[in-house]
Amino acid sequence: MSLVLVSCAIFGLGLYGTLVRRDIIGILASIEVMLGGPQLLLVGLGASIDHSAGSALNAQGIALVIIVVAAAEAAVGLALVVAVARRTRSTRLDDLTEVKG
Amino acid sequence: MREIVTNGLFWLLALGALVGAGTVALTRDVMRMALGLGVMLLALAGFFAYYGFGFLALAEVFVYVGGVLILVLFAIMLVHRTTAGRPELESRSRIAPIVAAAGLSALLAFMLQPAAALLEPTGVAGGPAALSRLLLGPMLLAFEAAGALLLIALVVIVAVGGGEAE
Repeated sequence: MSLVLVSCAIFGLGLYGTLVRRDIIGILASIEVMLGGPQLLLVGLGASIDHSAGSALNAQGIALVIIVVAAAEAAVGLALVVAVARRTRSTRLDDLTEVKG
Repeated sequence: MREIVTNGLFWLLALGALVGAGTVALTRDVMRMALGLGVMLLALAGFFAYYGFGFLALAEVFVYVGGVLILVLFAIMLVHRTTAGRPELESRSRIAPIVAAAGLSALLAFMLQPAAALLEPTGVAGGPAALSRLLLGPMLLAFEAAGALLLIALVVIVAVGGGEAE
């Protein structure tokens, strides 16, 4: 139960940061925090379920894939941030209105 | 005695993860935010080791703390180099995000509680050899897809970030 609470609290803090930040780097960091909560829950519960069915290993494999996907997402996101900052001299979301309808 | 140590370790890691996550969400100082992210990721790696996933903990430290966090620091240095003074993060109004984040977290915890109550973490997990058999066996498609995703990400990063500064 405490694992669920900790995971949900981490997810909630990440969600709050994502909603509240105006800077793209802050939002990306908050998204990484958001990913951390479910990842922790997956690993914690994966270590709990019947091991004869290979669930712990499956959780480990899925968590590893999540790490890879999150790393790729962060790398592409930060490359976009640097490209946007070169163009607009700002990383504030409010300044990025070029594609606004 | 063993249970006290185990519980103490769990709550120590939980404290680290929550303090790190809270720093990322709340601080105005961009370097403190990066530091908080590092603390949270290290605490997560500690949790993985706590549950017996040593390889996963190492991967978390190498990929996230050694890779993504350094990338974030470099992005901060590249992006904020022209601004005067110490860079600060701005935030929007806080009431609605607090309600949304707290409400969704409470809802998730409420929904997951029955499932979690049935489970007791045992701390027994497979080692790297078993994981490699899993990745090159039943999870081969996901493993290959992750590799392809990394390659595509590399190409995108070069394409997006390789241009000359204006």
